[in-house]
Order: sequence, then structure tokens, then C-alpha cells
Amino acid sequence: MDFGLSEQQEMLKKTARDFFKTELPKTLVKELAKDPKGYPPELWKKMADLGWVGLVLPEQYGGSDASFMDLTILMEEMGRACLPGPFFSTVILGALTVMDLGTEEQKKAILPKVAKGELVLTMAIAEPHAIYRSDFFEVEAKHVGHHYTISGTKLFVTDAHVADYMIVAAKTKGGVTFFLVDAKSDGVSCKLLPAMAGERQCEVKFDGVKLTKADILGSVNQGTEYLDKVMQRAAAAKCSEMLGGAEQVLEISVQYAKDRIAFGKAIGSYQAIQHHCANMLNDLDECRCMTRRAAWLVSEGLPCAMEVSLAKALVGQAYHRITCLGHEIHGAIAFQHDHDMHLYFKQAVVGEASFGSSAYHGEVVAKELGL
Amino acid sequence: MDLALSEEQEMLWKSARDFLASKVPKTLVRQMEEDEKGYVPELWKEMADLGWIGLPFPELYGGGGFKFLDLVILLEEMGRACLPGPFLSTVVLGGMPVAEFGTEEQKKAILPKLCKGELIMTMALTEPSAKYEAKAVQVEAKAEGDHYIINGTKLFVNDANVADKMIVVARTAKKQHPEEGITLFLVDRKAPGVKIHLLKTIAGDKQCEVTFEKVKVAKADILGKVDHGWDIVKKVMEWAALAKSAEMQGGAQQVLEMTIQYGKDRVQFDRPIGSFQIIQHYMADMSIDVDSARVSLHKAAWMVSEGIPCRKEIAVIKGWLSEAYRRVTAQSHQIHGAIGFTKDHDLELYFRRAKAAELYFGDADFHREIVAQELGM
Amino acid sequence: MDFRFTPEEEAFRKEVREFLDKELPKDWPGTDPDMYHEDAFDEFHELSMTMQRKLAAKGWLGLTWPKKYGGHEQPLWKQIILEEEITYRGAPGLDPYQFVGGMGDLLLDFGTEAQRQKYLPMMVRGEIKGATGMSEPNAGSDLANIQLKAELQGDYFILNGQKTWQSAAHRADLAPVYVRTDPNLAKHRGISIILVEYKKTPGITMRQLEMMSGLKAFNEVFYDNVKVPKENLLGEINGGWKIVMAALSHERSYGVMLLINIRRDIDLLIQYCKETKDVDGVPLSKNKLIRNRLADVVIQQEVARNVGFKLNHLALTGGNVVSTANAVKILGGVTTQRVAQVGMQIMGMYGQLGPVGGNWRQTDPVKDKWTRLGGRMKHLYLSTVCNTIAAGTTEVARNAAAGALGLPREPKPAPKK
Repeated sequence: MDFGLSEQQEMLKKTARDFFKTELPKTLVKELAKDPKGYPPELWKKMADLGWVGLVLPEQYGGSDASFMDLTILMEEMGRACLPGPFFSTVILGALTVMDLGTEEQKKAILPKVAKGELVLTMAIAEPHAIYRSDFFEVEAKHVGHHYTISGTKLFVTDAHVADYMIVAAKTKGGVTFFLVDAKSDGVSCKLLPAMAGERQCEVKFDGVKLTKADILGSVNQGTEYLDKVMQRAAAAKCSEMLGGAEQVLEISVQYAKDRIAFGKAIGSYQAIQHHCANMLNDLDECRCMTRRAAWLVSEGLPCAMEVSLAKALVGQAYHRITCLGHEIHGAIAFQHDHDMHLYFKQAVVGEASFGSSAYHGEVVAKELGL
Repeated sequence: MDLALSEEQEMLWKSARDFLASKVPKTLVRQMEEDEKGYVPELWKEMADLGWIGLPFPELYGGGGFKFLDLVILLEEMGRACLPGPFLSTVVLGGMPVAEFGTEEQKKAILPKLCKGELIMTMALTEPSAKYEAKAVQVEAKAEGDHYIINGTKLFVNDANVADKMIVVARTAKKQHPEEGITLFLVDRKAPGVKIHLLKTIAGDKQCEVTFEKVKVAKADILGKVDHGWDIVKKVMEWAALAKSAEMQGGAQQVLEMTIQYGKDRVQFDRPIGSFQIIQHYMADMSIDVDSARVSLHKAAWMVSEGIPCRKEIAVIKGWLSEAYRRVTAQSHQIHGAIGFTKDHDLELYFRRAKAAELYFGDADFHREIVAQELGM
Repeated sequence: MDFRFTPEEEAFRKEVREFLDKELPKDWPGTDPDMYHEDAFDEFHELSMTMQRKLAAKGWLGLTWPKKYGGHEQPLWKQIILEEEITYRGAPGLDPYQFVGGMGDLLLDFGTEAQRQKYLPMMVRGEIKGATGMSEPNAGSDLANIQLKAELQGDYFILNGQKTWQSAAHRADLAPVYVRTDPNLAKHRGISIILVEYKKTPGITMRQLEMMSGLKAFNEVFYDNVKVPKENLLGEINGGWKIVMAALSHERSYGVMLLINIRRDIDLLIQYCKETKDVDGVPLSKNKLIRNRLADVVIQQEVARNVGFKLNHLALTGGNVVSTANAVKILGGVTTQRVAQVGMQIMGMYGQLGPVGGNWRQTDPVKDKWTRLGGRMKHLYLSTVCNTIAAGTTEVARNAAAGALGLPREPKPAPKK
């Protein structure tokens, strides 16, 4: 058993950290929160040129053939940097699905462009009432003759407002089918939701959007089972983002505890603060172990339902605790918008709710245990 | 709003503390954990003479005519002292339902003796399913002429091994609603067919398996109305949960005091450990847990005394203390280090009692569900 | 022992409720008193000033203050009930900086006759807004470390320096400002308190700070050779610390207000769960996990609220409120955060949505179509972060609680060689 990162992974991590330090100061992150697009296209291009967008794509499509594990290491740094933009949507939700389910034609049409940073993808899963319960989906793809017509509303679709293609998980007779939908299609309308922070989530309405068999990703009703895989991958990747954020929170809190003087000494010399930091470290270490283990299992294509849900359930709760303690240690200074801490506090909230809350994943664990 | 105790209540509290401090050393507590009866008859008599056993019962039957709040004050001190014995069972599980719902004959036959310390009682409610729910009552009582025949097994019956009389909760009819069709019977422990087996429990309190094999009970020994016994049980469950909460409060208070003293006495790294900030913060949290519970405990007890419905308030305090008492003892263990972990030390007496009390008449989840119901959810 | 309110108390409570029913806008969802809503939005500030004048007209400002300053010499229990009802309804207008453990009490205890005659009547008439000038960048928990200088020159104090985290300062007319009048004395011995009339005094600039909740309701306040008449000194020169300690011993309300205010949110959540159906058509209120979590916070809040009643009892019977008030402050911070956490858990994905300030009056029917409860839980979650920090951190409060238990103090570190 080897819990360490490979030399390559270490390098990727370091490169990414340095890159974001220069390219993405927190002032820019906060500005982007107000920007309609939500991310700077130049930065996106740079990340594509570095090979990051296509990292896990096969070389034949312009990718680097790296593993999912490698990708999550990169995403740890993205979480740490509070990177806004459609990386998660494009790669985790979009490209990986196309890779798994797409025909050669579809893959050729999409993946090289994705790798070059020329296409943004996302997936529309959650619905207003059903959230992630696909057995209650109402967005339907009605099959009439040679056509499918999709109608209904998807909610919390990340980056739909900038996506070129959306993979839509729609109800078909007998299950759920994925459709690759051009975001500019007639009948597709997108509205940004007033969400937590810089991440962009949308309401997407489908009003009789016409599609053909060629737009199906995978086979009819394949989505029912495959959606589980998407949720797992997304949950694992979300844990990685949160892990990176949590590390940063601990670091800045420890630094603050060393720097901030009160009653004549550094507050880090007060035992209560020391124990807060120790508790944060404890939580962080657990998150790291669980997240990396889950990511590795996903990467190896091994059964991972239990481990992914354990990780997501844990990280969702632990990251909340870590950000709360981070705030507590900083006192009033971190309560204001100027400070960075609230970026992570909000990241924790969004991360916990996305792709299954702790309660949701607790249920999965219970099922896996045969309860 | 006046949250102060009356002078009488202050006196009761103080005299109880002094009495129990001298009469119930921890050596006795430990002895009683191993003892088959679990109580000292001479001490029992002394408590009866002090008027404690008869405290909440009408003077007409030899009681003190005090209210539930006064009983709670007494129970706090009993919890503080880890008083072993069938006090709660006799007074709350046995005496109070008889006083409230018994016929004149039943009251006359039972209460005076009980107040004098000559009759020990309990209630046999839970069964192997271990649930405090009507549908868990499966022990059968079949009508046969002018008798009922009881068959079945009760489990976790407190002090059945020393109780002279038990109130047995049995099913007399199967109706659509499980709360209907339950009847309460006053049964002698020594009645033919009653078998008692003492269980070994975490707190050394006397809980028993009681089996009923064709036990004959006269109609005159029915407490309350046939098929409507659950109404009485509901009330007893509230009283019992509140009474136990009082014991828990007293125990928690003692644990807090013990811990503060330890924090002052124990020296490590050349200073009392209570001067380390983290220990101070642990104790601050403990003191808040303990102090805050007291107001809610007294509020519920006062409401019972005034006859004001308080199902929610009782659930609040039992729900709270079920976790708070456990937290306080666990935290105290943390502060005491290894010494608290030995059988020699008193702390572990409280730790074990906290767990037993948590489970008694509903743990935190059970009472949260009651609160949810009371909120109309 | 009696947990009931007297008929008189019930009658006054009813009167306050009816007043609020009448005077608050219809369907008023409640703002957070002393949690900055009023000061962040112009609309709310205006409503707050209107309510303040209406409260004045009812004779409810300065309820317990002496008649000679325009007060009403009413019993303390009335003030308590007024605070409780206003807090539960989230009604603006009862300025804590003046009327709830604020300037009014300080003036009565330490002010000169001239100061009382000048300021108290205008407070009672509801004409002004208050604030308080305490914290500085290097004086948070370590309040004695304040640096804002006040030098006595002739008939004036000249103030130079900076304050921070000043809630409501940008709206305030008057504030007691903690200053250093003698840098040569030991830290806490060289502190004085000076009453500053913000709007009328030149040299004061403010920079509004945005909180993580998005509300812009606290400020950095800069003093650049600000001249304040020496008559505005509160108490003795260099005697400010004593006033701070006295103020703390009166302070009864902050934690209780948190606990009462959060009950409105708990009730909102319960109602939400009863009305909202899960994907399978069953109301959320029937979900076992939700029942358990909600009941748990209700239990926490009720236990803590009862300690608040004990606190009132102590205040009304002349008991020592300090350690109980301290406990309630800790409980208030922890409980409100827990409610926010449970609220977010119940909301799930929807918890992320909502406008700044999370109040339906700010919601846009188009933009906020999917927002639930006006984004209240999201706002609560972001704003309650400060409840274990503001007005004294939980860590410092625990230090104080431990002190009250008689635990030995931490030894001072040996001086560095």
C-alpha cells in the first residue's frame, strides 16, 4: 500500500500551485464573482495550453492520457485557488462521459476541441423537485418517429450559461437517457441562479428541443445506471476540490495564529486556539486519506461506491467544521468580504450540497452495508 | 416569573444533601451494585421515616402532600449521591399511578404501607423488543371468569426482584389502534407463575426479566379501566423520564464539582492542570451543560406540579440530559486522565449511571421524536 | 417557583404584539436586530427610524429611565418584554446602542447632569441613532490595547486614530468612543470614553466594510484631528476601564436576543418542512432524519432560552447576572450556528440560493424564482459566523466562565531574556 504521490503528481501539484498563485490572485476571484461569464477566457486558454483541460483525454484526441487520480491532484490545487469557471463541468461532467459513452464520431467531434480549450461542456442532472433522484425525473425526451423532443426544467446546472454542449439526463420510456444537446439549440433557455459565490449555477429550460438518435450519448436507457457513475466521479472530484480548499484554510489559520497578537502574545500560544488548529488538522488528515483513496479506486476502475460515499459524507461535514474553526481563529477580520476566508466557507456549503449531501451519501453507505 | 426555590424547598434540598452524604458513602454504592437486593432495608426505613418515600402522596394516605417539584429536588440529591435502591420505582412507577388512578380500596391498601416503607413497587412495561411503545406490549392477559390470566415475558423491569407489587402492562384486546386494548394489573411478586431473573447491567442497578406463566389476577386488581391502561402508562412515562432527569441533573452537578476540584489539585508541568486553557474551556462547556439543564428541569417539574400539560417540556429536558450528562461524564473522564478510569475512582460510577439513565424511559432520539410530534410535524 | 407571567406582564406583551401587528408592514418576515440589516439597506434604515419614532410616541423608549430626562420610570420587566417581542418579530427600531444595554445606561450611571440633560431626551424622543466605538485593528479581544489617541488641548480633546468593525456607525448620530488619554499608564489604566457626535463633528471619515454575508453594515472609522468638547468625557479621565467593566455587568441581552431571534427561524423551518413535500410526495416533516435534527435544535434553543429566563429573574431580583449572561452568550452563539447548519441541511441544494441579506423584500420574482424562504437560511448561515466572535469571542467567554468556576489562572509567561 502506498499513500504517496508519484513524482509526476508532485510536479503537477507544484506547477499548478505556482500557476494559480500568479494567475489567480484572490482579488481576481472576487472580481469574477461579479463577472457575467464568471471566468477569464485567457486563463482558460492558458490551462488548455498547459494540457490541463485535456489531461485525462487519450492522446489521440489531444489529451495527455493521464489518470483520474492525476486529475484529482490537479483539482485539489484548483480548490485551493478557488478557481472559478467551467473546468469541473467540462472535464468531470462532460468530457469523461463522452469518453465513456460516445461513438467514435462524437468523440472526434468534441474531445479534441475540449482539449484545446475551445469547447465548454456541462451536464444537466438535477431537477427542481427530484434533485438527484433520477427515478423522479420529469424532464422527458419523447420519442416520436425519428425524433426526440425534450421538455422540462433542469436546475443547478453548473456553467450552462457558457456551455457549448450540455449532456442532458432525460427520462425516456424505461429509464434515463443521455442526450448531447447543442446549447444554442432552439428551445434551450438558460438563466443564472442567485447562488452562493463565484460558481455559476443555472436554471435550464427545454421547450420542445428537437433531437435525433445521433444526439444520444451511449444507448437508450443507459443513463439509469451510468448516472451513478457520474455522481461517483463528481462526488470524488468535488472532495478533491474541497480538500485543497481545506488545506489552504488550515495554513492561513495557522499563520494567522502565529502572527496575530492579543494580550501580549501570539494567539497561537493560547491552548484553545492550538486545539482548534489540531482539530482542523485531524479533520484534514482524514479528508485527505478518504479523498485520495476514493479517487484512486475511481481511477483504477475498481468498485468504489462505498468509499466515494464515505469520503463525500465525511468531507462535506469536515470541511464545514474546518471553515467554521478557520473563521473562529481569525475573529472579526475574516468576517468581511475583503478577506479570503469566506470564499472557502462558501465553497464548503456548495460542496456539501452538490452531488449528494452527507445524508444522501450516508444512505448509499447504508445500502452498501446491506442495511 | 420567579425561579427561586421556596424556603421549604431549600431546606429539603439541604437536609437531603447532608443525609445522603453521610449515609451513602461510595463504598455502599459499590456494595449495592453487587448485592442481590440492591438496597439497605435500614436505610430504606430511615428514608420512609424522613417522609421521603411518601413525599408526593396525599397526607390522607400517610404521605407528605408535597408536589412533583419537591420530589425532583429530592431526586437531584439522590442522583448526586448515586443512591441505590428502589426509590424511583416505588414512588414514581408504583405509588404515583395508584394515587392518581387507583380506586379508593386500592389506594387504602397500598399507599399507607408504601409511605411507611413497607411496600416496594415497580412497573413491568418493556418487553424483549425494548421499546417504549404501545405496539410493543405483547404480554397477554386473557379474561377467564372473574380473573385474568397473564402470560409472557417482561424485560428490563427495574427492582422487580425486591418489589412486593408490580404494575404489569398487558394486552387484553387486539384493536386497530395498538394504544387500545392495554390493561394494567397489580400483581404480587410472589404470585404463583411469576419468575424473576436478575440481569447484570452496566450501572449495577437491578433490572430483571420477569416471566408470567398463567399468572392469575383478580379483576379487583386492575388499575384504571380495562383496555384503557395506556393512558396511565403515558403519564407514568412522562413522570419517570422527568424523575430520572432530576437524578441525572444531580449526578452531573456532582461530576462537575469533582472535576473542578481535580483541575485545582492535579499538578502537571509544574502547574495545576486547571490553569491550562483547554481544560478551562472543557470545564466552561461542562458547567454550561449542567447549569442550563437545571432551569429546564425545574420548569417541567413545576408544570407537572401545577397540572399543566408538559409533554414537550419533559421531552426537552430528558432529551437534553440524555446527551448532556453523557457529555459531561465523558469530558470529566478526559480531564481526569487515567485515574478516573480505575474502579477505585468515583467518576466511573457516574459514567455508567449516565448511560443507564440515558436509556431509561427514552433516549435522546426517542424524546426528539416526541418534540417533533409536539411541534405538529 | 412560578414560570408564569403575571396578568400585567401578559397584558403588556399583548399590547406590544398588537402594536407590532399594526405598525409593521404586512407579512413582515423579520430582520435581525443588531445583525446589521437595518443599517445595510436604506429602506430598512428608514423603516427603523419610523418605528423608532413610533416606539417613542408609545412611550416605550427609555422605558426604565428617570422621568426627569424624559424617561418613563417603568419597571424593568416591561423593558424585558418589549425587547423579547420586538426581537422575535424581527422588528427594527429599538436601537441596542441606545436602549438595550447601550449608551442610555452608561449615561445614567456615569454621565454628568449636563450630558444626561442633553442626550437622553433626544434618545427618548427617538430622534437619533447610536453606535459604539470600541474595536481597533489591534484591539479585538484585547480591548485594552486600543490606540486611538485623545489629547486634551484647552477645551477640547483632539482625537487621532482609527476604529474598526463599527456597526451602524455610518448611520449614527452619537457614540461613546473608547480612547487612549494617557499612553504612559498601564494599558487599561489610560483609557477614557468620549461621546462623539458623528454627523456634526468634522474630521471623521468612514469606510464601509462588506461582510461575508454581503451586507455593508460595519465600518472603519478614521479620526483626523477631530475636536470634541471636553464636556463630552464620560466619567473620569483615564477611568474608562471601570466603565467597561460596569457595562459588562449590566449586559444581559445579547445572548438572549440571539436565542429569541433564532426561534423565528426555527419556526420558519418547521413550517417549511410541514408545507414542502419530498420527491415521493411525503412532507419533509415526516422525514425521520429531519425530525430528529429539527427537534434537536428546538431542544437546544429551549434549554438555552430557559437560561435566558433565569437571567431575567436575576436581573429583576438584583442578582449577579455576569456569569449567567456569559453562559447565555456562549449558548446563543453556538445555538444560532447550529440552527443555520440544520437549516442548510434541510434546504439541500436550494440552500445556496438567495439575495444578499436573505429577506423576501429583496427578492426579485424573476431572478429569485427558485429561492426558498427568501434565501433566509443562506443569509443566516453566512451571518451567524460572527455570533461566536462578536461582542466577545466564545473562547474569551469560556476563559471567563472558567474563572467563575474558581479555576486557577494561566501563569504569565516568563519575560523573554
